[in-house]
Amino acid sequence: MSRRVAEVLLLSGFLVLAVLLFRSTASYPESVQGSTAMYVRFLGAALGLLCTLELIFTLKKRRDDDNPPEKMNIAVNPVRFWGLFLLLVIYCAALSTLGFYLTSILFLPVSMVLLGARKPLTIVLTSGGVLLFVYFIFARLLEVSLPMGTLF
Amino acid sequence: MILQALHALFTPVSLFAVFIGTTSGVIVGGMPGLTATMAVALLIPVTFALEPLTGLLLMGGVYCGAMYGGSIPAILLRTPGTPAAVATAIEGYPMTQQGKGGLALKVSVVASFTGGTFSTLILLMIAPALATFALTFGPPEYFLLALLGLAGIVSMADDENRLIKALISGFIGLVLAVVGTDPISGMLRYTMGVTDLFDGIAFMPALIGMFSLSQMLELTGTKQVVDEAAIETTKKFKREPLPKGISKPIWLGSLIGTVIGILPGEGATIAAFVSYNVARRRSKNPQLFGKGSPEGIAAAEAGNNGCVGGSLVPTLTLGIPGNSVAAALLGGLLIHGLVPGPELFTTYGVMTYAFILSLFIANVIFLLLGLFMAPYFARISMTPTNMLIPVVCLFSVLGAYAMNNSITDVFISLLFGLAAIILQKTGFSLGALILGLILGPIAETGFAQALIIGHGSYSIFFTRPQALALWIIIILLLITPMIQIYRQSKQEKKEQAIG
Repeated sequence: MSRRVAEVLLLSGFLVLAVLLFRSTASYPESVQGSTAMYVRFLGAALGLLCTLELIFTLKKRRDDDNPPEKMNIAVNPVRFWGLFLLLVIYCAALSTLGFYLTSILFLPVSMVLLGARKPLTIVLTSGGVLLFVYFIFARLLEVSLPMGTLF
Repeated sequence: MILQALHALFTPVSLFAVFIGTTSGVIVGGMPGLTATMAVALLIPVTFALEPLTGLLLMGGVYCGAMYGGSIPAILLRTPGTPAAVATAIEGYPMTQQGKGGLALKVSVVASFTGGTFSTLILLMIAPALATFALTFGPPEYFLLALLGLAGIVSMADDENRLIKALISGFIGLVLAVVGTDPISGMLRYTMGVTDLFDGIAFMPALIGMFSLSQMLELTGTKQVVDEAAIETTKKFKREPLPKGISKPIWLGSLIGTVIGILPGEGATIAAFVSYNVARRRSKNPQLFGKGSPEGIAAAEAGNNGCVGGSLVPTLTLGIPGNSVAAALLGGLLIHGLVPGPELFTTYGVMTYAFILSLFIANVIFLLLGLFMAPYFARISMTPTNMLIPVVCLFSVLGAYAMNNSITDVFISLLFGLAAIILQKTGFSLGALILGLILGPIAETGFAQALIIGHGSYSIFFTRPQALALWIIIILLLITPMIQIYRQSKQEKKEQAIG
């Protein structure tokens, strides 16, 4: 996808959001129609106006420009980028079931290997050290609540 | 009384409490997601077992240390330890990438020290008078104060087109800030039935996602945060003198931070952004901003540390906390039977003045820690990314969760992380978005309350002298960047015509 197409798609999405936001204020209670509803209406109107302006500029530029469209490159290394993102989603989803320590002991080494770490000792020591640090500093000293699992 | 206070302060136990408090503050502030508020709040039960003065000194040290500590990961990893360090991250991280991470840390600690010391001096000297002035601010002024902060969005734009995108980003932030409970009617808005969204989109998870997780995802394509040559220059920072021209932004930031800190409800984040914005306006090298400007770091850090003393002015004299950390500190004071007001400066004067004076010591402690430990802190950026990314991701997830013990917040953080990458690649401004998200609730509440007080008339925003003064400042802040943008676009059109 070219950068321009991505921009047009995003701006169109924001424009739809602005319209929906503006319309939603009709359902606000009567008592706030002159205060918070007014504020939200202003936000919707201003966002809509700005998005329309930017859309016009973007589309106009497309006509003027003879150069080939600039490609939007989200990741330099797509396998590592999306792999890490997927791992993070799984990690977060598993937190409420497996709890913090069990998910972390799986997440840390797997993501390190995914990102190119190959020394087992370094991986084990780093993962263990980080979890011990979290246990002593966060859990014991600062008494920060860590995600608890339903199974463990 | 000051002599008695000094006597109480210069005991081994008291000095140890300040040292431990400040060191822990730097560590806590340096961990993304753990804020100064959280640290002070967590300390309150610990202080039960201690003498009231020792407890106060611990909390004061944590407050000062955490405010500085937030800049360390902001500079080295583009992961602000505290929300107040966002502006520092914008300038600090590019410096780290250029191999000037150590120098950025040096600028940050010197600016933090100056801001903190200046504001403590103000707190000591003119606390009651300034607190009375801040009390005259009403909802219209708070709305205008938010506008003042939002004026910074204009300076985040480079040219005509980018200005619109920066404004759109700011409005997206303001729209996201609307999610949650209506501040006037209590009605739930845009929460989609998710209980965790009833209080709105939590700021810290969004911040962690946009500035930390997005950065870690971006780093998957590199082996190290900085290259070998850059690492070498990081090691030489001790011999490097402070960059020229940073004293002005430091003093400006110290003053702005102190004044904003005094205003109840206004936090270090706004102070940092306003100071950063003003420094950018007045800089001789505005083109360096956003690409690693030491002036930007100096202003932002002096601003957020200037807030420490400022926020304690209304807290100690009127019992109105200047920001959330001061609110937590106020809780600590009340628990020990110390009721803010004139009595705190008379009956309990020794303890109060000892507490204020301890803030000077705390500033010296973090200055020394920063100056001597900076090379070691800077080494974080030399860690291979295959080890660094998973560890920072883990702390980011932990930080996003710890604020409200919510898994939803963790997912919000992830969502913001991915969105930040897409928005950045398409030319939108993350700084503007986050500014909108921070200032949205203040702007909405101020706007709505002012209109209710003014019976629906907008004249309330223009009639009060304080409001008029704020309008003048806002216009002054907007004029320069608008002229700059206009000139730039004219120049570009000329060049295109010639080409």
